[in-house]
Amino acid sequence: MRPRILWTIFRKEIRESLRDRRTITAMVVLPVLLYPMMILGISWLQNSEEEKTAAHASPVAVWGDATPQLLEALRAGHIEVRPSVAMPAQLAAQLQSGRVPPVRPKPEDPDESPQKPKKPEPDTPVTLAARPVLLNRSVDAVLVLWPDFAAQLSEGGLGHAAVLYDSARPASDKAHERVDAALTKFREQLLAAREREDGLRAGFAQAVEVGDANVAPPSRRAGFGLGMMLPFLLITMCLTPIFYAAIDSTAGEKERNTMQTLLCAPLRPLEIIGGKFLAVAAIGLVSAGVNITSMSLTMARISAGAFAGSVALHQYVLAFLLLIPIVLLTAGVFLAVSVFARDFKEGQNYLMPALMCMMLPCGVAIVPGIELNAVMSFAPVANIALLIKAVMMGEAAPDLSFLVIASSLLYTALAVAAAARVFSREAVLVGGSDTLRGFLGIDKPGAVRPGGAAAVLIFCVALVTAFYGSLLLQPYGALMQIAIVEVAFLLAPALLAVKMGHFSARETLLLRMPGWRGIAAAVLVGVSAGVVGAGVGMRLVRPPADFARALEKSLLMDNPHMPLAVLWLCIAILPAVCEELLFRGFILSGFRDLGKWAIPATALLFGLAHASIYRILPTFIVGLFITMLAWQTRSIVPSIIAHALNDGLIATLVHVRPSWLDMNSMREVPWTWIAAAVVVLALGFALISRRASLEAPHGHSLASAGAR
Amino acid sequence: MGHEPGVSAHALEKRFGAVVAVRDFNLTVNHGEIVGLLGPNGAGKTTVLRMLAGILTPDSGSVTAGGASMSENPLEAKRRIGFLSGDTQLYQRLSPREMLRYFGQLYELPPDFLRKRIAELTGELDMDSFAGRPCGTLSAGQKQRANIARAFLHDPDILILDEPTNALDVITGRFIVDAIRSRRAAGRAVLFSTHIMGEAEYLCDRVVMIHRGAVVEQGTVAEIVARSGRKTLTDAFLAAIGAEDNGRSIQ
Repeated sequence: MRPRILWTIFRKEIRESLRDRRTITAMVVLPVLLYPMMILGISWLQNSEEEKTAAHASPVAVWGDATPQLLEALRAGHIEVRPSVAMPAQLAAQLQSGRVPPVRPKPEDPDESPQKPKKPEPDTPVTLAARPVLLNRSVDAVLVLWPDFAAQLSEGGLGHAAVLYDSARPASDKAHERVDAALTKFREQLLAAREREDGLRAGFAQAVEVGDANVAPPSRRAGFGLGMMLPFLLITMCLTPIFYAAIDSTAGEKERNTMQTLLCAPLRPLEIIGGKFLAVAAIGLVSAGVNITSMSLTMARISAGAFAGSVALHQYVLAFLLLIPIVLLTAGVFLAVSVFARDFKEGQNYLMPALMCMMLPCGVAIVPGIELNAVMSFAPVANIALLIKAVMMGEAAPDLSFLVIASSLLYTALAVAAAARVFSREAVLVGGSDTLRGFLGIDKPGAVRPGGAAAVLIFCVALVTAFYGSLLLQPYGALMQIAIVEVAFLLAPALLAVKMGHFSARETLLLRMPGWRGIAAAVLVGVSAGVVGAGVGMRLVRPPADFARALEKSLLMDNPHMPLAVLWLCIAILPAVCEELLFRGFILSGFRDLGKWAIPATALLFGLAHASIYRILPTFIVGLFITMLAWQTRSIVPSIIAHALNDGLIATLVHVRPSWLDMNSMREVPWTWIAAAVVVLALGFALISRRASLEAPHGHSLASAGAR
Repeated sequence: MGHEPGVSAHALEKRFGAVVAVRDFNLTVNHGEIVGLLGPNGAGKTTVLRMLAGILTPDSGSVTAGGASMSENPLEAKRRIGFLSGDTQLYQRLSPREMLRYFGQLYELPPDFLRKRIAELTGELDMDSFAGRPCGTLSAGQKQRANIARAFLHDPDILILDEPTNALDVITGRFIVDAIRSRRAAGRAVLFSTHIMGEAEYLCDRVVMIHRGAVVEQGTVAEIVARSGRKTLTDAFLAAIGAEDNGRSIQ
């Protein structure tokens, strides 16, 4: 890929997009206008409505005999008693007859779900009589006093009253609050008077006074509110210009018949898609920047009084950075989909479902109670929405944030690989249709090994299924969990892909026997790679103590008395076979066209597969050495041996806890150990340095064409 | 340049699903030669030209352009070809000058050469009056001139033109015909498809007739007419594709 060509295509696409009114409107005009209009407008409307309500006393009908003190309390509570709205005679008669029981206060259930529909309360003569006067807005609330109300109060008894209101009308809701507050005050005064009359201590009747205080600082409260709304708004607003730019640069180009001029120019398909992808992503990023700026300025404007500086600048910057993976993912997906369309209109039809699929997951951030956790961290788009919410509230956990960003970047890589794959299919570029088998590169048998796109696809499938699978399998015990995850979610996708792609299993999975030098090198790497990996990796990213304890527990399969042989089988041998066939087999074969870059690329995916910010570096380093083994020996066997030895020795140390090794006090691997391990590693690699390594094109599949 | 063929196709075959669009197609166009590709609608002319230009990949067979294999060294092969089609459009929001600069950079032409070349072509093709206007506002003739400039920009050894005069007025059509002749004079290899027999008779050193994806006749105009025993190239063409009866009934 030539950077200068990428840059040329990028600049042309940007120039064309900047001259397209639709893109400019969606990218700049809409965000600049939307937030002030929406947030300031709604806030202004809400404030003016609240001010209007506060300025006017609530009209309330009082049915029954109110004491002068009660009427005084109501008036003091900003309530206007409307004698003109009198109690219906029928209700008065029913109350007098004593056939209408008092309305009892309902205890609030803190565990009741706000989403669960409440059972409607049965009608009573009181509600039936009050409903018409509330619905025709004669008054905002009705206070019903039972016939013996005044008598009960004067005799020291219990007076019954009920407030009736219409919860669907804000003014009625306000009247309810005011009557409630006035009655509470009236009751407190009454209690105090009774205590005085009876010579009781103040507080005798109330017994417990409960106060509450919100400890959330203003920034957290503002962040909570903003975090609910911001992800959905931001992501949706970023997607719109990407939507237009992606269609314009693919289906639009087909419609204008300019695509063939590009195809007959001396360009690689990957350069064309690369330039277009960068341009579409840049448009999305500019849109993200404009959106964040417009929103932050609007929020600063409305919060100038109440929450001065409530959401810090760095939180907006973080939110912007988190939009980058979403923008890249969307650009990749939209380009891959829209290139199938033959014209702009068809492009819109194709992309609309994709747009909905991207927008709907953002909605989870709006749902109260849904927060970022391990399950949500792999859910595309939703994970970023929840992480933005967490950032706004100032509580983004490093490990979960890492999972979100790593998984989002992987999905992005997959989307870009898919787009690159589509751009290498002439049936799509020229003819406009393709089969799924053709797209996956499994329509023409004869390819020897997979390409990079297939490697990334299988990695993503394995990673996501293994992650969710292990969460689901937790209740069934460590043994079952490891066995199913390793075999069904890591090994099976690789084997299935080899079968479906008609690849050579021997060539793809490196099924060859190595010489004695390969075996010896594997042993030397197996006993030393982990020391270097853990020694260097854990110095750079130090894991917290509880993480180290959890890791030890999982190495012992949650059972400190687990037999060592079972540990070796489940923690060392089984993972070594399954993971090596996936990583050093399928994935390394897929990356072979990258030359020696295939080694760090495979090791990086191996590190990412361990799904933890604290493990990625050590596993990346170990992965590097093991991948070099496979590369140099052209066989999977040495890497299986090294992997099994590495895992098995660590599990043995944790299990046996030898007296010479005080693991509790040892915070990091000593440098002397690391130096010794480096010497052993060097010896191992010296043994196989002269062997013919994996060479680039022996034969590659069509699937690799897009990724090259 | 003189001895090596400009572009050659060997045993090309292309299928679209179950339909065989082109089969066993062989062709060589030498430098300093204009070859016309004649055939009725749907004969496979565009598919052949697109395979020769590297836009489509043949299912079997090979293409060589200026000695470079299209399958093994596509960038080098494409660099030697200028492709123009009658239905190719331009970037609506770019001006012809911006578009030429864009393609010049894609062909990795040196900046100074590119600047001179754009000035030369816009002058030669009488484009100065509209070279700075957005392509979306240009007439069909102006667009096709801008397209010719794009195809000629990197001064390719081989020109592949797919019905380049299609739907153009007489003046612009003549403009293109003259441009094709000037390229032959400059020693370039030119392959073009057309429906217009007069154009083929006037321009072509050799003619290749294809029907249902296969070559049915080829040679100079005089050779083809003589072999067919007819008086005109049109009659010879109709005879070659077995449509003489249809031709007579139309006449």
